[in-house]
Amino acid sequence: MRIVSRIFVVIVCLLSIPFMAVSTAALKQRFADGPNRVFSGGPLVAGDIHFGAEPDWSFVNPIPTIEMQLLDPPTSRRIWTVEYEGKVYVWSGYMGSIVGRMWKRWPIQAERNGKAIMRINGTRYERNLVRIQAGDELDGITAAITNKYPSQTTRSSVEQGDVWLFEAAPRNN
Amino acid sequence: MEMKYFYWVIAASLLITVLAVLFVPGVDDFVEQTFQRYLGRAAN
Repeated sequence: MRIVSRIFVVIVCLLSIPFMAVSTAALKQRFADGPNRVFSGGPLVAGDIHFGAEPDWSFVNPIPTIEMQLLDPPTSRRIWTVEYEGKVYVWSGYMGSIVGRMWKRWPIQAERNGKAIMRINGTRYERNLVRIQAGDELDGITAAITNKYPSQTTRSSVEQGDVWLFEAAPRNN
Repeated sequence: MEMKYFYWVIAASLLITVLAVLFVPGVDDFVEQTFQRYLGRAAN
Protein backbone atom coordinates (compact mmCIF):
# COMPACT_ATOMS: atom_id res chain seq x y z
CA MET A 1 0.00 0.00 0.00
CA ARG A 2 2.86 2.31 0.84
CA ILE A 3 4.48 1.79 -2.54
CA VAL A 4 1.20 2.67 -4.28
CA SER A 5 0.91 5.94 -2.37
CA ARG A 6 4.54 6.75 -3.15
CA ILE A 7 4.00 6.13 -6.86
CA PHE A 8 0.95 8.41 -6.67
CA VAL A 9 2.97 11.16 -4.97
CA VAL A 10 5.77 10.85 -7.53
CA ILE A 11 3.33 11.11 -10.44
CA VAL A 12 1.61 14.15 -8.92
CA CYS A 13 4.95 15.83 -8.27
CA LEU A 14 6.16 15.18 -11.82
CA LEU A 15 2.89 16.44 -13.30
CA SER A 16 3.16 19.60 -11.23
CA ILE A 17 6.12 20.75 -13.34
CA PRO A 18 4.27 21.05 -16.70
CA PHE A 19 1.21 22.32 -14.82
CA MET A 20 3.33 25.08 -13.28
CA ALA A 21 4.88 25.89 -16.65
CA VAL A 22 1.47 26.28 -18.30
CA SER A 23 0.03 28.26 -15.38
CA THR A 24 3.01 30.62 -15.32
CA ALA A 25 2.88 31.16 -19.10
CA ALA A 26 -0.88 31.85 -18.93
CA LEU A 27 -0.41 34.30 -16.06
CA LYS A 28 2.47 36.04 -17.84
CA GLN A 29 0.34 36.50 -20.96
CA ARG A 30 -2.30 38.33 -18.91
CA PHE A 31 0.18 41.16 -18.47
CA ALA A 32 1.18 41.26 -22.13
CA ASP A 33 -0.11 43.57 -24.86
CA GLY A 34 -2.60 41.15 -26.37
CA PRO A 35 -2.78 37.37 -26.67
CA ASN A 36 -0.15 35.11 -28.20
CA ARG A 37 -1.71 31.77 -29.13
CA VAL A 38 -4.32 30.26 -26.79
CA PHE A 39 -3.86 32.11 -23.51
CA SER A 40 -5.81 35.32 -22.90
CA GLY A 41 -3.74 38.46 -23.06
CA GLY A 42 -3.96 41.84 -21.45
CA PRO A 43 -5.45 45.01 -22.98
CA LEU A 44 -4.52 45.87 -26.56
CA VAL A 45 -2.24 48.87 -26.19
CA ALA A 46 -0.08 49.20 -29.29
CA GLY A 47 -1.37 50.34 -32.64
CA ASP A 48 -3.18 53.37 -33.99
CA ILE A 49 -6.93 53.62 -33.40
CA HIS A 50 -8.97 53.75 -36.58
CA PHE A 51 -11.13 56.86 -36.98
CA GLY A 52 -13.42 57.90 -39.77
CA ALA A 53 -15.44 55.92 -42.27
CA GLU A 54 -16.04 52.23 -41.95
CA PRO A 55 -13.27 50.26 -43.67
CA ASP A 56 -13.92 47.72 -46.39
CA TRP A 57 -13.97 44.72 -44.04
CA SER A 58 -13.30 42.25 -46.83
CA PHE A 59 -9.61 42.72 -45.98
CA VAL A 60 -10.12 40.39 -42.98
CA ASN A 61 -11.06 37.41 -45.14
CA PRO A 62 -7.49 36.28 -45.88
CA ILE A 63 -6.46 36.89 -42.24
CA PRO A 64 -6.67 33.68 -40.15
CA THR A 65 -7.11 35.26 -36.70
CA ILE A 66 -7.48 38.67 -35.12
CA GLU A 67 -6.94 39.97 -31.61
CA MET A 68 -10.04 41.07 -29.73
CA GLN A 69 -10.31 42.71 -26.33
CA LEU A 70 -13.41 43.40 -24.31
CA LEU A 71 -13.49 46.61 -22.30
CA ASP A 72 -15.05 44.77 -19.37
CA PRO A 73 -13.09 42.73 -18.41
CA PRO A 74 -10.04 44.13 -20.22
CA THR A 75 -8.66 40.82 -21.45
CA SER A 76 -7.92 39.87 -25.03
CA ARG A 77 -7.97 36.69 -27.03
CA ARG A 78 -7.15 35.51 -30.56
CA ILE A 79 -10.28 34.60 -32.51
CA TRP A 80 -11.59 33.79 -35.95
CA THR A 81 -13.40 36.42 -37.94
CA VAL A 82 -15.24 36.74 -41.21
CA GLU A 83 -16.72 39.50 -43.33
CA TYR A 84 -20.11 39.18 -44.94
CA GLU A 85 -21.89 41.87 -46.95
CA GLY A 86 -19.70 44.66 -45.58
CA LYS A 87 -20.03 43.67 -41.92
CA VAL A 88 -17.52 41.89 -39.73
CA TYR A 89 -18.42 39.01 -37.43
CA VAL A 90 -16.87 37.02 -34.60
CA TRP A 91 -18.25 33.95 -32.89
CA SER A 92 -17.69 31.28 -30.31
CA GLY A 93 -18.57 27.61 -30.54
CA TYR A 94 -19.15 25.01 -27.84
CA MET A 95 -21.61 27.35 -26.10
CA GLY A 96 -24.31 24.70 -25.88
CA SER A 97 -22.39 22.68 -23.31
CA ILE A 98 -21.62 23.47 -19.68
CA VAL A 99 -17.91 22.82 -20.27
CA GLY A 100 -17.93 25.16 -23.27
CA ARG A 101 -19.58 27.93 -21.31
CA MET A 102 -17.06 27.51 -18.49
CA TRP A 103 -14.19 27.48 -20.97
CA LYS A 104 -15.38 30.37 -23.14
CA ARG A 105 -16.56 33.19 -20.95
CA TRP A 106 -15.99 36.09 -23.32
CA PRO A 107 -19.27 35.62 -25.23
CA ILE A 108 -21.25 35.88 -21.97
CA GLN A 109 -19.22 38.93 -20.97
CA ALA A 110 -19.71 40.43 -24.44
CA GLU A 111 -23.46 39.97 -24.26
CA ARG A 112 -23.41 41.90 -20.97
CA ASN A 113 -21.17 44.69 -22.32
CA GLY A 114 -20.35 44.53 -26.01
CA LYS A 115 -17.74 47.27 -26.10
CA ALA A 116 -14.64 45.78 -27.66
CA ILE A 117 -11.42 46.60 -29.45
CA MET A 118 -10.17 44.54 -32.37
CA ARG A 119 -6.56 44.77 -33.49
CA ILE A 120 -6.01 43.78 -37.09
CA ASN A 121 -2.72 44.29 -38.93
CA GLY A 122 -1.56 46.55 -36.10
CA THR A 123 -4.57 48.90 -36.22
CA ARG A 124 -7.12 48.99 -33.41
CA TYR A 125 -10.82 49.24 -34.21
CA GLU A 126 -13.33 50.24 -31.53
CA ARG A 127 -16.44 48.09 -31.95
CA ASN A 128 -19.63 47.10 -30.24
CA LEU A 129 -20.42 43.39 -30.24
CA VAL A 130 -24.08 42.72 -30.98
CA ARG A 131 -25.26 39.13 -30.68
CA ILE A 132 -27.25 37.74 -33.60
CA GLN A 133 -29.48 34.77 -32.84
CA ALA A 134 -31.90 34.69 -35.77
CA GLY A 135 -32.50 36.06 -39.23
CA ASP A 136 -32.04 35.11 -42.85
CA GLU A 137 -28.57 36.67 -42.94
CA LEU A 138 -27.39 33.71 -40.83
CA ASP A 139 -27.37 31.55 -43.97
CA GLY A 140 -24.85 33.84 -45.65
CA ILE A 141 -22.75 34.44 -42.56
CA THR A 142 -22.43 30.75 -41.68
CA ALA A 143 -21.63 29.94 -45.31
CA ALA A 144 -18.84 32.55 -45.19
CA ILE A 145 -17.57 30.94 -41.96
CA THR A 146 -17.51 27.40 -43.35
CA ASN A 147 -15.89 28.61 -46.57
CA LYS A 148 -13.07 30.22 -44.64
CA TYR A 149 -12.52 27.79 -41.76
CA PRO A 150 -12.81 24.03 -41.08
CA SER A 151 -15.95 24.82 -39.08
CA GLN A 152 -19.32 23.11 -38.93
CA THR A 153 -21.19 26.27 -37.98
CA THR A 154 -24.71 26.27 -39.38
CA ARG A 155 -27.72 28.54 -39.13
CA SER A 156 -29.43 26.08 -36.78
CA SER A 157 -26.34 25.86 -34.51
CA VAL A 158 -26.52 29.64 -34.10
CA GLU A 159 -30.28 29.61 -33.56
CA GLN A 160 -29.99 26.80 -31.00
CA GLY A 161 -27.28 28.65 -29.06
CA ASP A 162 -24.45 26.19 -29.74
CA VAL A 163 -22.62 28.98 -31.53
CA TRP A 164 -22.79 32.54 -30.27
CA LEU A 165 -22.42 34.92 -33.21
CA PHE A 166 -21.69 38.62 -32.85
CA GLU A 167 -21.61 41.43 -35.35
CA ALA A 168 -18.71 43.73 -34.51
CA ALA A 169 -20.74 46.84 -35.18
CA PRO A 170 -19.42 50.40 -35.14
CA ARG A 171 -19.30 51.97 -31.71
CA ASN A 172 -21.24 55.19 -31.51
CA ASN A 173 -19.76 56.69 -28.33
CA MET B 1 14.92 9.53 3.45
CA GLU B 2 15.26 9.26 -0.32
CA MET B 3 11.84 10.94 -0.77
CA LYS B 4 13.23 14.01 0.93
CA TYR B 5 15.76 14.42 -1.88
CA PHE B 6 13.07 13.80 -4.44
CA TYR B 7 10.98 16.62 -2.99
CA TRP B 8 13.99 18.93 -3.10
CA VAL B 9 14.55 18.08 -6.77
CA ILE B 10 10.87 18.72 -7.54
CA ALA B 11 10.91 22.04 -5.65
CA ALA B 12 14.05 23.14 -7.49
CA SER B 13 12.55 22.05 -10.82
CA LEU B 14 9.39 24.05 -10.13
CA LEU B 15 11.42 27.14 -9.27
CA ILE B 16 13.59 26.79 -12.38
CA THR B 17 10.47 26.25 -14.50
CA VAL B 18 8.79 29.40 -13.22
CA LEU B 19 11.92 31.51 -13.64
CA ALA B 20 12.57 30.13 -17.13
CA VAL B 21 9.00 30.82 -18.29
CA LEU B 22 9.08 34.31 -16.83
CA PHE B 23 12.52 35.45 -17.90
CA VAL B 24 14.08 33.26 -20.61
CA PRO B 25 12.99 34.54 -24.04
CA GLY B 26 10.96 32.04 -26.04
CA VAL B 27 10.24 29.61 -23.22
CA ASP B 28 6.74 31.00 -22.60
CA ASP B 29 5.95 30.68 -26.30
CA PHE B 30 7.28 27.12 -26.37
CA VAL B 31 5.08 26.21 -23.39
CA GLU B 32 2.03 27.81 -25.00
CA GLN B 33 2.74 26.13 -28.34
CA THR B 34 3.09 22.73 -26.66
CA PHE B 35 -0.10 23.30 -24.66
CA GLN B 36 -1.93 24.29 -27.86
CA ARG B 37 -0.74 21.09 -29.54
CA TYR B 38 -2.08 18.91 -26.72
CA LEU B 39 -5.28 20.95 -26.55
CA GLY B 40 -5.83 20.45 -30.28
CA ARG B 41 -5.17 16.74 -29.98
CA ALA B 42 -7.65 16.47 -27.09
CA ALA B 43 -10.29 18.39 -29.04
CA ASN B 44 -10.03 16.10 -32.07
